[in-house]
Amino acid sequence: MSSALVARNAFNRRIATTFARRAIKPMAVTSFVRSNTSHAYVPGGPIYQGTVNDPTTFPPPSRTHGSYHWAFERLLSAGLVPLTAAAFVTSGSAYPLLDGILGVSLVMHSHIGFDSLLVDYLHPRKFPVLGKALPWVLRATTVGVLVGVYQFNTNDIGLTELIAKVWHA
Amino acid sequence: MQSLVARKALLQGAPRCANVARGFASSAARSQAVPLEKPVLLKEFKIYRWNPDEPAKKPTLQSYQIDLNQCGPMVLDALIKIKNEIDPTLTFRRSCREGICGSCAMNVNGQNTLACLCRIDRDSKDSKIYPLPHMYIVKDLVPDLTQFYKQYKSIEPYLKNDNPPADREFLQSPEDRRKLDGMYECILCACCSTSCPSYWWNQDEYLGPATLMAAYRWMADSRDSYGAQRKERLQNELSVYRCHTIFNCARTCPKGLNPAMAIAKLKLELAAD
Repeated sequence: MSSALVARNAFNRRIATTFARRAIKPMAVTSFVRSNTSHAYVPGGPIYQGTVNDPTTFPPPSRTHGSYHWAFERLLSAGLVPLTAAAFVTSGSAYPLLDGILGVSLVMHSHIGFDSLLVDYLHPRKFPVLGKALPWVLRATTVGVLVGVYQFNTNDIGLTELIAKVWHA
Repeated sequence: MQSLVARKALLQGAPRCANVARGFASSAARSQAVPLEKPVLLKEFKIYRWNPDEPAKKPTLQSYQIDLNQCGPMVLDALIKIKNEIDPTLTFRRSCREGICGSCAMNVNGQNTLACLCRIDRDSKDSKIYPLPHMYIVKDLVPDLTQFYKQYKSIEPYLKNDNPPADREFLQSPEDRRKLDGMYECILCACCSTSCPSYWWNQDEYLGPATLMAAYRWMADSRDSYGAQRKERLQNELSVYRCHTIFNCARTCPKGLNPAMAIAKLKLELAAD
């Protein structure tokens, strides 16, 4: 078997590095060079925390990021259904409060959606710079959109009226 | 000594039997029936190959032609036939050949399944066989499941109870036992977890459907008294809540289980906790 297979787990990797220190290193390194030099081949592939027999660990528990977040998101999504239906039945100018609630919950809903996207694909543990910066960009955008929706609903025709207008246009 | 006597008796009996048989037998030509010749039904299997001994070589699909009429009905039969007769270097895991060990999990024609439970499609011209998607590959069709097993270990998949009954075994009502149906049958083949896009992107932190179903299996067990601690550990944004109810897990499970349902119940219990 090649050294690639031998170096599969952390224990063996430790052995491999010990061997590598004993002047076998040049040979071992050259045997791992890939045709694609931009992505160096890592002997053994993934890097595990601890040995292969250690269980994975959990992040520190936090209900805010766990069940509270999930329950809030689900309730908000469920609440948007009757809110949207109500916006179809009534008119935004007649019930400005309803229009306001719809505007805020729509923006919150999309904020949670985009945030979920960032956690999925651009998490700080993998993208130390982008992962920390983008949530703030998202928060700033959400605040900006909220201000915009407020201005639009108070000084102009409002969200539902706009959609009705586009719908009939 | 006794066996020697018996053998002698058998030897003496043998010619008599032969004579009887000769009496019933007809001509030699009639006794040798010609086996029914089946037509050749060739099918091409394109199989993912990668050899760690040649890390500079990129993974390739290698084609093998198989006569389906000289092969068993399942994909695993075809793989074993290829390994026996065509290419002994083809590497895959297999053990029980009846869908109870979960070793031969692989991606056949774009669907994660157990090769031993997957019938060969006799109508199409070729079949593509890949290892489980988005896993590190050890060789050919063998993925590295170390992380999967480490995650399974992390949820402590065993009964934990500080007050076991002193004089007898744990008792459980039939209703409580029924709550475990559809979960205890999981064989940890990793088909569901490796079909989950969330698990593809975040498998270092997200536990994946198989492990989450196992986690809920021990929460739902009436004999286990560590439910609160088990739930508390999952209260973070990555372990459970990277599940976006995509349902690939329920769709692909070769045992017909529904990990998505278990995760939904798990989320509900976490929220109601």
